[in-house]
Amino acid sequence: MNMYNENFLVVEDDMQIRNFICYALKQANFQCVTALTAEEALSHLISQQIDVILLDLGLPDFDGLEIIKRVREWSDIPIIVVSARDQDREKAEALDLGADDYLTKPFSSTELMARIRVALRHLYKQNRDRQQQSSLVVGELRIELDKHLVYLEEKEIHVTPMEYNLLALLFKNIGKVLTTGYIINEIWGAGYGRDTQALRALMAGLRRKIERNPAKPRYIVTEIGVGYRMMDI
Amino acid sequence: MNANIGKKVLQPLLIVGFLFGASLIGYIFNINGFPETNIVIIYLLAVHMISWLSSGYFWGILASLGATFIFNYFFTEPYFTFSVYDSSYIITFITMTMIALITGTITSHAKKSAAGARQREAETKAVYNLTNHLTDAKEVYEIVGFAVSEISACFMCRAACLCFREDGFPESFFIQQLSDKRQIRREVDNPEEIKRRIERLSMGCDIGSEFYDWPIYGQEAIHGIVRIPIEVAQEMNIAQTRLLHSMIESIALAMDRLRSTEERIKFREETIQERYRGNLLRAISHDLRTPLSSIMGTAEMLMDMSSKQDIRYSLASEIHKDANWLHSLVENILSLTRLQEGKLIIKKQLEAAEEILGGTIAYIAKQWPSYEISVSVPEELLLVPMDAKLIKQVLINLLDNAIKHTSHDEEISISVTKDADSRWAIFVVRDCGVGISKEDIPNIFQLFYTSNTQHADAKHGIGLGLAICDAIIKAHGGNIEARNRTDKKGAEVIFKLPMEVDNNEHVQ
Repeated sequence: MNMYNENFLVVEDDMQIRNFICYALKQANFQCVTALTAEEALSHLISQQIDVILLDLGLPDFDGLEIIKRVREWSDIPIIVVSARDQDREKAEALDLGADDYLTKPFSSTELMARIRVALRHLYKQNRDRQQQSSLVVGELRIELDKHLVYLEEKEIHVTPMEYNLLALLFKNIGKVLTTGYIINEIWGAGYGRDTQALRALMAGLRRKIERNPAKPRYIVTEIGVGYRMMDI
Repeated sequence: MNANIGKKVLQPLLIVGFLFGASLIGYIFNINGFPETNIVIIYLLAVHMISWLSSGYFWGILASLGATFIFNYFFTEPYFTFSVYDSSYIITFITMTMIALITGTITSHAKKSAAGARQREAETKAVYNLTNHLTDAKEVYEIVGFAVSEISACFMCRAACLCFREDGFPESFFIQQLSDKRQIRREVDNPEEIKRRIERLSMGCDIGSEFYDWPIYGQEAIHGIVRIPIEVAQEMNIAQTRLLHSMIESIALAMDRLRSTEERIKFREETIQERYRGNLLRAISHDLRTPLSSIMGTAEMLMDMSSKQDIRYSLASEIHKDANWLHSLVENILSLTRLQEGKLIIKKQLEAAEEILGGTIAYIAKQWPSYEISVSVPEELLLVPMDAKLIKQVLINLLDNAIKHTSHDEEISISVTKDADSRWAIFVVRDCGVGISKEDIPNIFQLFYTSNTQHADAKHGIGLGLAICDAIIKAHGGNIEARNRTDKKGAEVIFKLPMEVDNNEHVQ
C-alpha cells in the first residue's frame, strides 16, 4: 500500500502499546520512530523527516495537546491522537487544535491501519491541491463542487443550500472526524454559538436523502460526543 | 428570702433608731438652751439618713411625718402633747414636713438610679464575660460549659443547657451547674416532648415542671435551650429577663459561628476526599485499561503472526477475547462506582435518537462483525434529552447481552419510537435467544444478580451490566423493563426516556 516507506513518529509512554503499534506499522512496511515523552517527540520532529504522528494524549512530561499546538505552528503533517475512552472532551479539543483523527484504546491493528490510510490519503491529496478537483466521489455518492450538485447512484438528488454546504464540508474532509463545534462554525459562522440542535436536524434531513437507513449510515457516521465523519468507502 | 425578711424588719428599726437618736440630740440641745431650729435641722438630717438607707419612698415619707410629730410632741409647748400654743409652729411643721419629704424623695430617686446603673454595669459585665469566654470555645460543649457557669453565677441558681443536634433533635442529656466548679450531665426524660414544645413556642420561654426553658435561636435552626430552675425564674424581674436574653443571644451567636466553621471544615474535607476519589478512579482506569489495551494488542500481533489453523492462533484469540471482556468489565465497574456514589452528573443534551443508535451499532459491529443488527427509527427526527455517552453505554450493555444469548444467524433488532402524546421516547432491544426464565425477570436489574439457569461455564459477567442500565435510565427520569417476547422466542428490553425536561434540569 505504500511505496515511500513513510516515517511514523509514535509518541506513547506505554511500552506494550508502543511495541504493538510499531509491529503493526512495520508489517505494513512503514518506518517507525518512537518517543516516550513530549520533549523527546519534539526533538525527533526537529531532527528527522516525519510523515505522520501517532500521539498519546496522556504523556508523563506535558500534555499531548501542547505538541499538537506546537506542530501546527509550522507543519500540516497528519496527527492521529490515541486516547482513553472517557476523554471525549480532550478528543474534541485535540481535533479542534488540528489533529486529523483519533483512536480510542483499546484498538485493533485493523482500525489503526484504516486510520493511517485516511491520514496518508489526506497527506497526498493536500499535495495534489484538492481545490482543483471539481468532483468528489464516495461510494455511490458524488458531489459536483463547481455546479453545486449532488448525485446518488448517478441520479441527481435535491439538497437545500445548507445541506449542500454541510455535505461539501464533509466531502472535503473525507475520513476525518469533524467536531460539532467546527462544523457549526463553518456552516453558521463564528457568532452562532454551540447550539447543536440545528446541526442535528440538518444532519437528519441530509441523511434521509443520501442514506438507505439513517440509523445505519453508510456515508456520514456519528462519533458520539465528538462529531461526524465522512466514511472513506 | 432571708435578706427580704431582714429588710422588712430592718427598715422600721432604722426609722425608730434614727428618730430616737435625733430626739436624744434634740433633748441635749434643749437642755443646753440651743435654739429650736437646730433641733429641726437634726430631724431633717435623720429623715435624710433614713431615706438614704431604706428602699422606696414609703419609709422616707413615714419618717418625715414621724419626725414632725415627734418634734411637736417633745419640743413644742405644751410639751408631751400634739397640740401647740404658738400658731407660728404650724408653719415650722409644714415646712419641716415638706423639706423632709422632698429630701427623702430626691435621695431615694438618686439611690434608685445608682442602683439601676450598678445593675446595668453588672449586666454588661456578665455578657462581656460570657462573650469573652465564648470566643475561645472550640466545640459546642465548651460553649455550653461557659454559658451554664456564667448564667448560674449571674442569677445565683443551677442553670442548665440542652443542645439540639444538627438535625434539630435534642440531645439525650443536658449540662447543669451543680456548684461553683461542678457541672453534671443529666438525662433528658422526653426529648420529643421538649422539641415539640420549643417548636410551638412563638415568644418568651416554655414553662416546664422543673425549669423555664429559653430557646437559643440560631440563624437557621434552634441550637438548644437554656434552662433556669423554676423558683428562680419565677422571681426574675424585667431587667434580669433582659439580661438573660442578651446572654442567650451571645450564646446563639457563638453557636452559629461554631457551626459555620464546622460546616466549612466538613466541606473542605469533602472536597479533598472528592479529589482523592477522583484521582483513585483515574488511576484505576488508567492502570487497568492501559495494560488491557496492550494485552489485546499483543494478542492481536500473535494472531497475526500465526496461521489460522495453528493452535497458537486460537490461544492468542482466546487471550484477546478475555482481555476484551475484562476491559468492558472495567468500564462497567467504573460507571457503577460513579453511579453509586450519586456523583454521576447527567449532562442532558438534545440528541438525535437515530445518531445514538447508529453510533452504538457501529461500535458493536466492530466488536462482533459476524452479527447483523437491524435498526428502525421514525421517519421524523426524534430529539431526546439525554446524556449521550451514558445511553450509548446502556445500549452497548443491552446489545452485548442480546448477542450473548443469540446465535449469528438470528435476528437482533433495536428500535426507537415515541409514545402517542410525545411524552416518552421508547427504546426496544429484541433478540431471538432463549428468553428470560420466570424467576429471573423480577431480579434481572439487581446488582450482582446472575441467573442460576445458565450453564456454569458460560461467561455471564458478575451481574453488573443490567444494574448499570437500570441506574442510568433511572437517573434520566425514565424506566426500564425486561420481558419475553410474545410474538416469538427471545427477550426484549424496553426503556423509556422522558421527552420533557424537568424544570430543575439544565439542558444545553
